[in-house]
Amino acid sequence: MPDVVLHASGLSKTFGPTTVLTDASLAVGRGEVHALLGGNGSGKSTLVKLLAGVHRADPGGTISVGGASTPAERWSAEVARQHGLHFVHQDPAVFPALSVAENIAIGHGFVTGRTGRIDRRATRRRTAEVLERFSIPATPDMPVAALRPADRVMVAIARALQDQEDAHDGVLVLDEPTASLPAWEVEVLLTALRRYAEAGQTIVYVSHRLGEVLGLADTVTVLRDGHVVGSRAVSGMTESGLVEMIVGRPLDRVFPEPRTAPPGEVALSVRGLVAGPLRGVDLELHRGEVLGVAGLLGSGRTELLHALFGDLPTTSGELLLDGRPLRVRGPREAMRAGLALVPEDRGAEGLFAGMSVRANLSATVVPSYWRRGRLRHRAERDDARRLVHRYGVKPASDLPPAGTLSGGNQQKVVLGRWLRREPAVLLLDEPTQGVDVNARADIYTHVRAAADRGTAVLLVTSDFEEMAHVADRVVVLREGRVAAELRAPDITADRLTELSYLTAEVPA
Amino acid sequence: MTTGSTQETSEQVPATDSDAIRSETPVTGPPAPWTARAMPFVERYALLILFLLLCLFFSVYEPTSGTFASSANWRNILGNEAVIAITALASIIPLTCGQFDLSVGSVVGLSSIVTASAAAEHDLPVAVAIGLGVLSGCLVGLFNGVLVARIGVNALIATLGTATLVAGLISLYTANQVISIGIPESITALGSGTWLGLPRTVFTLAVVAFAVWYVLTQTPYGRYLTSVGVSPGSARLVGLRVDRYVLSSFVLSGGLAGVAGVLLLARAGTANPAVGPGFTLAALSAAFLGATAIKPGTFNVVGTLLGVLFVAVSVNGLVLAGAADWVQPTFNGAALIIAVALSTAIARRRAGR
Repeated sequence: MPDVVLHASGLSKTFGPTTVLTDASLAVGRGEVHALLGGNGSGKSTLVKLLAGVHRADPGGTISVGGASTPAERWSAEVARQHGLHFVHQDPAVFPALSVAENIAIGHGFVTGRTGRIDRRATRRRTAEVLERFSIPATPDMPVAALRPADRVMVAIARALQDQEDAHDGVLVLDEPTASLPAWEVEVLLTALRRYAEAGQTIVYVSHRLGEVLGLADTVTVLRDGHVVGSRAVSGMTESGLVEMIVGRPLDRVFPEPRTAPPGEVALSVRGLVAGPLRGVDLELHRGEVLGVAGLLGSGRTELLHALFGDLPTTSGELLLDGRPLRVRGPREAMRAGLALVPEDRGAEGLFAGMSVRANLSATVVPSYWRRGRLRHRAERDDARRLVHRYGVKPASDLPPAGTLSGGNQQKVVLGRWLRREPAVLLLDEPTQGVDVNARADIYTHVRAAADRGTAVLLVTSDFEEMAHVADRVVVLREGRVAAELRAPDITADRLTELSYLTAEVPA
Repeated sequence: MTTGSTQETSEQVPATDSDAIRSETPVTGPPAPWTARAMPFVERYALLILFLLLCLFFSVYEPTSGTFASSANWRNILGNEAVIAITALASIIPLTCGQFDLSVGSVVGLSSIVTASAAAEHDLPVAVAIGLGVLSGCLVGLFNGVLVARIGVNALIATLGTATLVAGLISLYTANQVISIGIPESITALGSGTWLGLPRTVFTLAVVAFAVWYVLTQTPYGRYLTSVGVSPGSARLVGLRVDRYVLSSFVLSGGLAGVAGVLLLARAGTANPAVGPGFTLAALSAAFLGATAIKPGTFNVVGTLLGVLFVAVSVNGLVLAGAADWVQPTFNGAALIIAVALSTAIARRRAGR
């Protein structure tokens, strides 16, 4: 590479006993668009966070920008900014209620008059210049809320780059800028990025979407399991070539095996479900089965579970529970029908952190303790103690506030709350996030036991290794639709990654 | 495993997955040191101990020892504090649900004016007058509830606005004149005199306190209010309609503040359009002091009553000791800040943050 503007080498990062990134190197040439790729948990986002100074690297590495090198452990957000690294994160921090001029001035400082008053006219003039330089179709006085989503991202980019004298200085790092954009907006943003790149702007581009990478990037660096697998020129590469690099083995088959006869009768069947990012999901969930839902971030996995649970309004579609039509207008109806949801955000949507383990365990069955004008606290306590014992919650007491428990124990409490209702359908969203290995095993033991008793389980997890071990069958969601299906012997983490990534069906 | 409880529990926890599956991980740990075990006890009863020490101090301290411990002084304290205590109990219902109600004081004033006016100026029967007073509180509560739960206005702002609005309307209606003539004796009888040696207002307080305790701790409704207060998101996903609980908590709070207003009229014998708003801060101080005691981190009835007594006795002792005018507001303000800081810290720790 002739002129390397950003060079990182020997970057490692450990969190306690786990190493998430080992000896990673990255060399970005001046004026190139350099894509970073990797599956869930590959260390890609850790690498970006090290560069941004959000996390501090383990001692030993170096980061150099434009020839000036800094030991990686002394890198910080401040240093990154001084060296001309500009970051635009997944949810660009634009303020929708403020005007474009205000949004841009926040990054630079307002132009002020002698008294310290904001000079509106000068600020507006300056903004107009920036907008023109970045070819953003907006006027300084428009509220950002009125812009298209792609233009909002561009405002964030302009804000990050406005102080750069010349496009040839500095590096723009974009972390999944298209993740929250609808498909037609993606092209608007990509066109703009191509224009910046042609002007000589160096861009590091992190994305899950292989099509974008092929269409935009000059070079790609791929990470897998915390290691850099390699860097290659993009020209001449294909989508399946990239997938091979990401999963680390040749791509032999793309189409899944034909279906075999399903076990048990159908518990829940979903037809043409449209809600949020879901664009017509069809699936059948059988009694006693653990059905995995794989897909990338933003593929609509979480929304699928929330829509089924009545927590996300559905536009159209039909649900049948045990063959009877089911209409859920809210979580209450869903619960009555026999559904249960263990949500992803345990802190805000699962746990009652300030309440006792006992109250947490009985949150789904409070009315059953209401007898003859009183809550039967003793019966509630005895049940809670049994559950604490059964799920091995530590400390082994029903009294402590649930928020003081470790993540794994909190999750056992949330799971126990739902399993005690013997749900017909159990919806699990990332049930082992932030959960230690032992508790993980416990949780899946109980999930499997529930399935054996006839509960139908729908499992969302980003940990594809885990999915391969736990699920009997997996459907892969891609862009709001079921794109593929795998059955037990064929479910492997690599296959799931492949299927999640592919944007077009490749003939066998 | 607790034995002997299995009979009652079998219908709650399905027997199918009884104890066939045990956790893989051991559930033993080293016993906690005695200091750690004593802490919850100290925390629970700190306010009570402080209160008793304070009583002891004023009983032996030279300038106050003569009057403080007399039964007349205590009857006076208890009789006067019943109004604040009921107001404080009103405020803990929205607080349990995670919302401030800064309009309780104004509602106390409103209710006393409405009741007095209905009985004295419009010659309505006493029962109807009292009913109108309480109803006026409920309506203000409903207004607050709609603002907060349906429209999504921040509760502090909404109730502050309501409080000011109500005070303004009272001023308009009464032309700032105290209603003192024609208050039926059957109303004032509720507030004056004693029964079984205790001021009559104490019995009204006892009924209200029992009712609030019952609703908050013995009914599913109370449990749900707490759940919504602790985590609205989690409450939604166990099937609770968060906005209904928030709305109803304001209605209950308004209604109880209405009861406090009737009692204020009964105690004072006149309805003063200016006194209401002053109750808000005293009530909130007591509620937050109460949340540091008995059930630390949780707004609770016994703690709230203790909080009322603590503030009342402190101020009473200071006044008896000849403290100047500035002492009372200063003390109330300091008590509120300390109480809020402490109860926030406790609630934080309980939530594991």
